[in-house]
Amino acid sequence: MRVCRILPKLLLLLIGVVGSQGCSSVAAWERGNLAKKEMALDPNPNLSHIRDHIFTSREASQGGRANSGGGCGCN
Amino acid sequence: MLIKWLFKPLTLLLMLGSSQAYALHEGQAAPQCPSALTDKGQQFDLTAYQGKVVLIDFWATWCGPCQKSMPFLNGLRNERHKDGFEIVAINVDENTEEAREFLKAHPVDYPVAFNPKGECPGIFNVEAMPSSFFIDKTGKIRKIHLGYRDGDQTEIREQISALLAE
Repeated sequence: MRVCRILPKLLLLLIGVVGSQGCSSVAAWERGNLAKKEMALDPNPNLSHIRDHIFTSREASQGGRANSGGGCGCN
Repeated sequence: MLIKWLFKPLTLLLMLGSSQAYALHEGQAAPQCPSALTDKGQQFDLTAYQGKVVLIDFWATWCGPCQKSMPFLNGLRNERHKDGFEIVAINVDENTEEAREFLKAHPVDYPVAFNPKGECPGIFNVEAMPSSFFIDKTGKIRKIHLGYRDGDQTEIREQISALLAE
């Protein structure tokens, strides 16, 4: 009975400890792989911008990002 | 009881997980960095530059501002070399070959050391890329310059002139 009372707390503590070990910062000089183009959240920002522009130019479409204006979307 | 018994070791484990390196400060003596090897395979020895104003520049090929800074630093080094100024660039690319290829295409006149495992930037606790450590004639760190923009050129130039004038 006593073990049942302690177990959830202990489990929570263990998850906290194990989880905190996974939080490690990447030093400035170790970011070579992160700096690669394919690691970017958006690997083709120009293409995405053009597509976004065309998409948001269509009638009543707003896009899923920030408001990116209107226009004809023809260029 | 069990929680009490586990509290100390778990706290210690948490503390170990969040260990932090202590940053170098301006005014502190520049540390040695033997793990960085020069082009000839020799250990980088800062004491060899005693009596000179040295700029230690941490750079990598994947770092855009680092590449941008190199022509300016090379020009500054050649301009003030006769006055006792030297730049030592420490490359931190994991693949040193990439750096060597880059240097073949964009050669610089100052010595370059290579530290692919990153012990040296760890000792200096480099916080940004590029990072420049200005070392005075007595071997003390006098200024730490983080990053590089074209607008920083005047400040870097003035700082070097001030250190050379001492």
